[in-house]
Amino acid sequence: MAKFTKMAYESADDMIFGHAKKPVSYGLGIKVGAGRVIPEINYAPRPGTEKSVEKITKEYVDYISKDAITRAVTLGFPDLQLETEWVTQMGTVPGMAASVVAGQKAITEKYHDEYGINLAVRHTIPDQREADHGLRPGMDSKFGYPEKFFECCEIACENGADLLSVESVGGKEFADYAVTNGDITAFLFGVGYLGSIDMENIWTQMVDICKKNKTAAGGDTNCSGANVSMFMAGGMLDNDVQKTFSAVTRCISAARTMVAMECGATGPDKDCGYEGVIIKSITGMPAAQEGKNCQCAHADLQGNLMAQCADVWSNESVEYHPEFGGTSVQCWLGPLGYECSLMNTAIATGQAKVLRDLYMASDRTRGPEGYVLSYDNAWKVGKAIAENGDNYYLRAKAAGITGAQIIREGYDKKELILTKKQLDVLDNIIKELSSLPDSEDEFYDYCVRKYKDEVPNFKPASYGL
Amino acid sequence: MMIDLNKIDFGSILRRYDAEAENTDSPEAVAAKMLPEDPILKEVASAVLYMKFKEVGPAVMKALQEGTAPLDIINKGLVVGMEIVSLLYAQHIYYLPEIMMAAKVMEVGIAIAEKQIPGGRTTKGVVVMHAAEGDPHDIGKNIAAVMMRSSGYTVVDLGKDVAVTDVVAAVKEHKPFLVTGTALMTTTMTAMKTGSEELIKEGITIPYMSAGGAVNRDFAESFDLGIYSEKAPQTPLIADKIIAGYDWKKIREEWDDIVGGA
Repeated sequence: MAKFTKMAYESADDMIFGHAKKPVSYGLGIKVGAGRVIPEINYAPRPGTEKSVEKITKEYVDYISKDAITRAVTLGFPDLQLETEWVTQMGTVPGMAASVVAGQKAITEKYHDEYGINLAVRHTIPDQREADHGLRPGMDSKFGYPEKFFECCEIACENGADLLSVESVGGKEFADYAVTNGDITAFLFGVGYLGSIDMENIWTQMVDICKKNKTAAGGDTNCSGANVSMFMAGGMLDNDVQKTFSAVTRCISAARTMVAMECGATGPDKDCGYEGVIIKSITGMPAAQEGKNCQCAHADLQGNLMAQCADVWSNESVEYHPEFGGTSVQCWLGPLGYECSLMNTAIATGQAKVLRDLYMASDRTRGPEGYVLSYDNAWKVGKAIAENGDNYYLRAKAAGITGAQIIREGYDKKELILTKKQLDVLDNIIKELSSLPDSEDEFYDYCVRKYKDEVPNFKPASYGL
Repeated sequence: MMIDLNKIDFGSILRRYDAEAENTDSPEAVAAKMLPEDPILKEVASAVLYMKFKEVGPAVMKALQEGTAPLDIINKGLVVGMEIVSLLYAQHIYYLPEIMMAAKVMEVGIAIAEKQIPGGRTTKGVVVMHAAEGDPHDIGKNIAAVMMRSSGYTVVDLGKDVAVTDVVAAVKEHKPFLVTGTALMTTTMTAMKTGSEELIKEGITIPYMSAGGAVNRDFAESFDLGIYSEKAPQTPLIADKIIAGYDWKKIREEWDDIVGGA
């Protein structure tokens, strides 16, 4: 498997929303990264609708999909991508997923035929694999989740998914420990190293399934690691995880999430992967992102900034329910689509770089994560990954150190404010990552020894080790 | 880049309340008035306060050798250290990693001390905790479990993706005063409602706490037995009230006052 060792973009300034070096087409007229930003609406069914195949199909197809598509037509949006993040029951109840996938395919075809609106459905399958039982087929005799994982991919693709994605959980046993204990080495080992190995294993097979069924292989996200870190770091009033810590975990996660593309995925990756801008700088593949229009799901400190290089713009997820202005998917699609309209107007009028910079500048110093994800800094992190691209461990470590140093430099030149605690944590991260061995084998042995008691559910066989 | 960043006054765009409101007090200053006066117990409490894994064992052993009662070592040393840690957390001087590490240090010390207590240490109460059936997300439950243990409760941790039948069986076996469930998804949180219905069928009426990303107070209080916890530090506060005699209805009535600023 070839790894990325060069940058797709020679300069950070070449990166822009709506344009990717390697655009992708799928579904009913959807073209991503080809000059227009695509709105992507994501939703969760109401509690209780998971009780039967009929109920959940009606919820997803007749209510959610229909509501979203008709609102897009009502407001004159040229494109719409639906994203169905499967509820767990779709991965376990026979016939449930097939019914939903086929139903959504049919309704998108109906409206595409009727109005010519460009439509696609991304299906994001659930990764229920548990470290306690083992991540690979044959290991989980209790639930059989590894086997179910690939069955879900097959069901999605065979029944009409336009785009396949997952929020995979390899390395999560270490990520959980790392985030709650502020241990950056554990995060590097879990997400940067083990997570990358797991990504290679699952995405090689996912891409094969996609090719067999002519489904586009989208991408992944380190939702279970870097997003947990970012959400726990929270906003100005939160006090669980330091934002300098979460910012560095985000950089490390880019080296891991990129593996999907090395296995043959084409993008767009998952919106909640805030590492997407780093990955785009290396791969040239389109990125799905989220920010200000995903406040229905969570608040973060880079609401505008994340739009800077987005090719797909998402609301993350909203529970389906009525609002004054329609149903929740309709109400959240409105601002999402209008934001895309603004970006696309900027592209059409030659003002895209101005808008990109306004997005970026408005959040650049709101916190360390936004600072390091500002496209100029993200490109530098990407460069560090590419320069060490042949080795999962070394490139993830390089991403972490480079990201941390960028934040430190921003503080030193008084561009970015850090609290004393944020600075202390950052300096410790730089010191700790810099002291780690250059040898992958030595690093592995070191971590196995160090976390033997702290992460008892680590099973090397989950990673073929 | 089109924009000259050097010309931007970022202060006119946003406010860094986290930096403006930063509490720069040192842990030592806050702890000074709270640490035990007895030098032996002070050493024990300090090991927890400053997260000294290697020092807590010798400190507890030294206290035992000096004749300090094991229960006093726990309650007047280890627990006091943890109470200071909780205060530092509330004052934004300590953060989650410090809570997690200090709790581990405290548990190491308690394990040594309680071996010397005939019949073991009495607990404030037993709580059964789990992440809902079909839900693999358990980080919030794990943090809450640490905070419950730190507050003197015995936690029966059933793990994640726990079937309702297993929750009911565990409640019947361990007879807790409280059962908690967490969920990150709208379609897994319904397991808590089912679980409470099954408990009622068995004649069990203990509070059933629902928490987690998908759960809100409306949902948690939409079924009998159901109570809500918005974040981990609230859980021991609510538990204390249940131990004091509150049932699930009274917890609901006084919820805002109980959780206060936690």
